[in-house]
Amino acid sequence: MSLFEARKVTKRFGGLTAVNAVDFNVQQGEIVGLIGPNGAGKTTFFNVISGFMKPDEGDVRFLGDSIVGHKPSDICKRGMTRTFQIVKPFPEMTVTDNILVGAFNHHRDAATANKKAREVMELVGLGAQAEKLGRELTVAGRKRVELAKALATEPKLMLLDEVMAGLTPSEVTGMIEVLGRVREAGVTMVIVEHVMQVIMNLSDRIYVLHHGEAIAEGSPKSITSDPRVMEAYLGESFVAEPGGEHAS
Amino acid sequence: MIRLRDHWFYLVVLAGLIVLPLFTDSDFVTAVMPSGLSGSALLHVFILMFFFAFMSQSWNIIGGFAGQLSIGHAAFFGIGAYTSTICYIHLGLSPWLGMFVAAGFTAMIGAGLGLISFHYGLRGPFFTLVTVAFAEITRLILLHWNFVGAANGILLPYSRDAGFWDFQFNGKEPYYYIALVMMLCSIALVAWVARSRFGYYLHAIRQDEDAAEAVGVPTKRCKIQAIALSAALAGLGGTFYAQYTQYIVPDDMVVGRVSVEILLGTVIGGAGTIMGPIVGAFILISVGEATRVIFEGGGTGISLTTLIQSDVGLAEKFSGYLAYLAGGGGGGLAVLLYGVLLIAVVLGMPGGVLPWLTRKRKSFAKSDKKGDS
Repeated sequence: MSLFEARKVTKRFGGLTAVNAVDFNVQQGEIVGLIGPNGAGKTTFFNVISGFMKPDEGDVRFLGDSIVGHKPSDICKRGMTRTFQIVKPFPEMTVTDNILVGAFNHHRDAATANKKAREVMELVGLGAQAEKLGRELTVAGRKRVELAKALATEPKLMLLDEVMAGLTPSEVTGMIEVLGRVREAGVTMVIVEHVMQVIMNLSDRIYVLHHGEAIAEGSPKSITSDPRVMEAYLGESFVAEPGGEHAS
Repeated sequence: MIRLRDHWFYLVVLAGLIVLPLFTDSDFVTAVMPSGLSGSALLHVFILMFFFAFMSQSWNIIGGFAGQLSIGHAAFFGIGAYTSTICYIHLGLSPWLGMFVAAGFTAMIGAGLGLISFHYGLRGPFFTLVTVAFAEITRLILLHWNFVGAANGILLPYSRDAGFWDFQFNGKEPYYYIALVMMLCSIALVAWVARSRFGYYLHAIRQDEDAAEAVGVPTKRCKIQAIALSAALAGLGGTFYAQYTQYIVPDDMVVGRVSVEILLGTVIGGAGTIMGPIVGAFILISVGEATRVIFEGGGTGISLTTLIQSDVGLAEKFSGYLAYLAGGGGGGLAVLLYGVLLIAVVLGMPGGVLPWLTRKRKSFAKSDKKGDS
């Protein structure tokens, strides 16, 4: 049984089909990458599978149960959580309290939740900024808080929406290290990403979305040599010359 | 852990408030009070402060912590007052018990209002409009429902041998202590909420509902719980008001002015903080009562047209206007000052007086430390 499975998920906005009959599955322990050109429907797909939008057709199953129509907070209780591309730290809370809100997901008692929050803070490398307010953080700090909040809910599966966007190359390296540690902690992840270095380094498997459809699936290596993927990213003329530079 | 050392200021104030009624008739108090004001008037001012602090604290839970701006709390307050009063008059139920019936009833109404609003995803100004409409509907029902006295309201039956169980007392002192205890209980409740998971969840909801939902906060349920708790407290306040004034009438209670006065204390003092509503209510009542005392009588009997047409200098005219607002306009000057105060706080101390003071103290402590090293 897959940890997570989306079957023929379709989402339309009026006449526009943003996500069209996408099949998608994640096994326990994997890191699955989700890529695609701008406007491919990645974020919509994310919103649908995380419970923030209802699919028009298809089913989304987590741990064997359908989660369609459940509230995101319910889904989070079951062990699946997401981050936002446009990060949403609680601006008037300290970093500790931001993470604490997440830690309360499985710990009613403030003392235990606090302990959990401290653990996560160390794992993500936010220890030095514990007392800063959400709104005082740099982009890199916000991205880490976003990740830490999600992690503090103790998810089995974490959906990360562009946690690298807006980071400098050295910050990206730092974040990759953090995600490596998260993986070691036993969290399965789905990552949407534009930074290819990240996707290629971390993913076990990659899905490629284009015009709302999953056009390819496979290992990072097989994806980079897939003509359909190259066509989607670079246009038809490049496919004829496979020796050309890849998009970065 | 709450360390008493950190709260010495509040403890000193509290000790003062506990012993205050013992000294209201002393020569000292009579000497410093403005002429014509008795010790019992002083107690009345403090009862008002405690009462409004309590009401502001009630609003603080939904408006401050959860960030759902209600401009309809006068309705919960009014319904609470009517519920316990009707239980008392028609069922002979002691208001001491009636106030909890009232709280239960207003909590249910609050939860119902929350259920409808939040089920349809009403946020921000749309929720606020629902609360305004709800208060107005409540007022109209009370105003036209003969069973509850319609526009005449209800005059509570006064009895010379009313005892403790009737929640009726001769002097002001019992009311003073009841109001004080109610205020302290509301502080304790909110302090507990602030440290609990529920409190963190409400703060998270106020700042970003989607982000809260994503990390497992059941936003709808929390908001409904918050409005129910808040409404229950407002209901308790309603019973106290009914027993203290012995007269309840829709056009005095369930009106926008009262809803605004309830929330103003919290907004000025510091919404979403534990002591903010108390500080804010104390400031507001002090300002309101001070203007009333200072300008008392000056404007009564003068009509505005006489004032405008009268043949006096500009300065005199201006002071005449002030007096008119204060006296003839039914405490209008106080409302004017509330407005000025609100603007000053919003512009100069965003977040409220108390958070501003805390920040000042922190930066002071920091510069102090730097000076030492």
